[in-house]
Amino acid sequence: MHDLFQRLISLPWDQAPQWFFLFPALLMLLAAAAAVMLRNLIHCALCLTLSFIALGVLFIALGAEFVGFVQLLVYVGAVTMLILFAILLTPASEVAASNNPFRSFQLSKALNAVAGGAVAMLVLAGLLAAIFFSPHAQAAVNPAKAATAPAAAIGENLLNHTLLPLQGTAILLTAALIGAALLAKEDKRS
Amino acid sequence: MHFLENLPLATKKFILDLVKGACGWLCTKLGIALPPWAMPLLLTLVSILVVIVAIIAVYMVMFALMSVAERKILARMQNRYGPNRAGWFGILQPVADGIKMLTKEDLVPRGADKIVHFLAPIAMVAPALMLPAIIPYGTGMVPVELSAGILYFFALGAGTELAVFMAGWSSNNKYSVMGAMRAIAQMISYELPLVMSAVIAALVAGTLSPTGIVEAQGGYSLGFIPNWFVFTPWGFVACLLFYIGALAESNRCPFDLPEGESELVAGHLTEYSGFKYAIFFMAEYVGMFAINGLLVTLFLGGYKAPCPFLEWIPSWCWFFAKLALLAFSMVWVRATLPRFRIDQMMQFAWKFMLPMSFAALIAAAVWYYAGRGPLAWGLSALIVGIPYLALGHFCFTRHHTADNRRYLYSE
Repeated sequence: MHDLFQRLISLPWDQAPQWFFLFPALLMLLAAAAAVMLRNLIHCALCLTLSFIALGVLFIALGAEFVGFVQLLVYVGAVTMLILFAILLTPASEVAASNNPFRSFQLSKALNAVAGGAVAMLVLAGLLAAIFFSPHAQAAVNPAKAATAPAAAIGENLLNHTLLPLQGTAILLTAALIGAALLAKEDKRS
Repeated sequence: MHFLENLPLATKKFILDLVKGACGWLCTKLGIALPPWAMPLLLTLVSILVVIVAIIAVYMVMFALMSVAERKILARMQNRYGPNRAGWFGILQPVADGIKMLTKEDLVPRGADKIVHFLAPIAMVAPALMLPAIIPYGTGMVPVELSAGILYFFALGAGTELAVFMAGWSSNNKYSVMGAMRAIAQMISYELPLVMSAVIAALVAGTLSPTGIVEAQGGYSLGFIPNWFVFTPWGFVACLLFYIGALAESNRCPFDLPEGESELVAGHLTEYSGFKYAIFFMAEYVGMFAINGLLVTLFLGGYKAPCPFLEWIPSWCWFFAKLALLAFSMVWVRATLPRFRIDQMMQFAWKFMLPMSFAALIAAAVWYYAGRGPLAWGLSALIVGIPYLALGHFCFTRHHTADNRRYLYSE
C-alpha cells in the first residue's frame, strides 16, 4: 500500500499538462462525428456547437487566448444561432425524405462510404498541404514565437498588413446583410 | 486599515501555508519522499481551488441576499410588507425557498427531448459561474488575470443564448419555443450595443484587460473628481447604454418579455420545475451580478475610491458597494417601469442604442486624440449630443406616424 502510493506519486505528473490538449481534441472529434451521424438535426447542430466549443478550448490551451475567445464568441454566439434558426425555419424533414435531388446519384451504402471517405481524405490532404507549405508554418512551429499572441499584436497586424482584405470582407458582409434584408422584405409583401 | 485591505489575500496565503505545512508533516510521518515538482503543483491546484470556492461562496451569498432584498424593496415601493415570516424580517426567506425548491417534484414533459431538457440548466449555469473570474475585486484581487479579459466575458456570455435555445426547444411547448425565440432575439440585439460600449472603454484605456481598464481610471482631476470614465461625455453615454444592455441581457424588467407571464406563461422556463428552475433563476442572478461587476470595472472606476479622503476604506469594499448600488437600481427600475412590447424593444435596440454607441465610439476617439482638455470635452459632448437629439426627434416622436395610423376595427 505504502509502496504503491510512493510509486504512484513518483510518476512524472509534472509532464501531465503537455497532454491536457488531448481532452478538448478528443471531445472535438467525437462531437464532430456525432454531428454527422445523429438523426435529429437539432442534435446535430448542438453537437457541432460542442465541437466549436472544444476547438475554442483547444486554442486557449495552446496559448492563443484571443483566437480562442473569438472562436467562442463568433461560432458559438453567432454561427450556431444562425444554423439553429435555419433548421427551425425550414421544413427539412420532408425535403430529406422525398425529393432529394441527389437521390439518383446514391449508390450502395459501402460505395457511398468509400466515396465519402475519399473526399474527406482529399480535403484533409489539401488542408495539410496548405498548412505545411504556408510561410507562416515555420513561425508557428517555433514555440518561443507562437507561445504568446497578444490581442494588441493581432490588432496591429489586422489593421496594418491586412487592412485591404479586412475592408473587402466588411463590404462583402454588409452586402450579404442588405441582400438578406431585401429578400426578407420581398417575401413579406407577396 | 492596511490589514483590512490585505485580508482576502492574506486569508488565501494562510490557507496555502496550512496546506503546505500539513502536507509536509504528513509526508514525513508516513515516510514518503515527494518529488521536487510535487509541492508547487499541489499549491497551484489548491490556490485555484481556493479562488473557485471563494467566488462561488460570495456569489451564492449575494444571490441569497439579493433574492430577499429584491422582494423587500419591491414591497416597500408598492406599500406592502413583503416576506416577513421566515426569520427576522424575512431574512431566512432564501433558506425556505431553497428547501421548497429542493423538495419539489422534478417534472419532465412526456414529449420533451429528455437529454437536452436535462442539459439546458447546466449549459445555463456553467458560463454564468465562469463569468465572475475576470473581474478585479480589489487591488491585486483578480481571480484570473487575462490579457483579453473583456473578450472572455462576452465569449462566455454567448453560451447563455445556446442554453436558452436548448431549454425552449427541448420542452416541446409552444410557449417555451416562443419565449426562447424572443429571448435570443433580445440577447443578440442588445449584445451589439453592449459590446460596442465595452469597446469604447477598452479603446480609451488602450487594453482589453479589466485590471488595466480600472488602473486607467485612477487619480483625480481638480483634486477631488475621480477620473472614472462615467464622468466624461462619451463615458456617460456608454455607461448608460451598457446599463440598459445589461438589463436586457439579464432579462430583467423592463426587458423581461421573454418570460412575460401574461403572454407566454414563463417563456423557456415553462416546463421546468423544482431545482432545475432554481438553477435557471440562480444563473440569471449570478449573470446579473457579473455584468454589473463588469459595468463597475469599465465605467465606475472598479475598486477605486470616489474621493481622496475616503481611500482608507479597503478597495474591495468600494467594489462591492458600487455593485450593491447597481443591484438596487435594477430593483428600482423593475418597480418603476412597465414591460416593453416586442417591436418597441427591437426598435429601441437597432434604431437608438446601436447608432448611439457608434456616436459614443467616435466621441471617445475624438476625446482621446484632442488631448482630454476642455476642447476635447466640448467636441465629444457635441458628437454624442447631436445624434441623441436627432434620434429622439426622428425615431421616437409620434408626429410622422400619427397620420398613417388606421383603426381597422373601429371605423
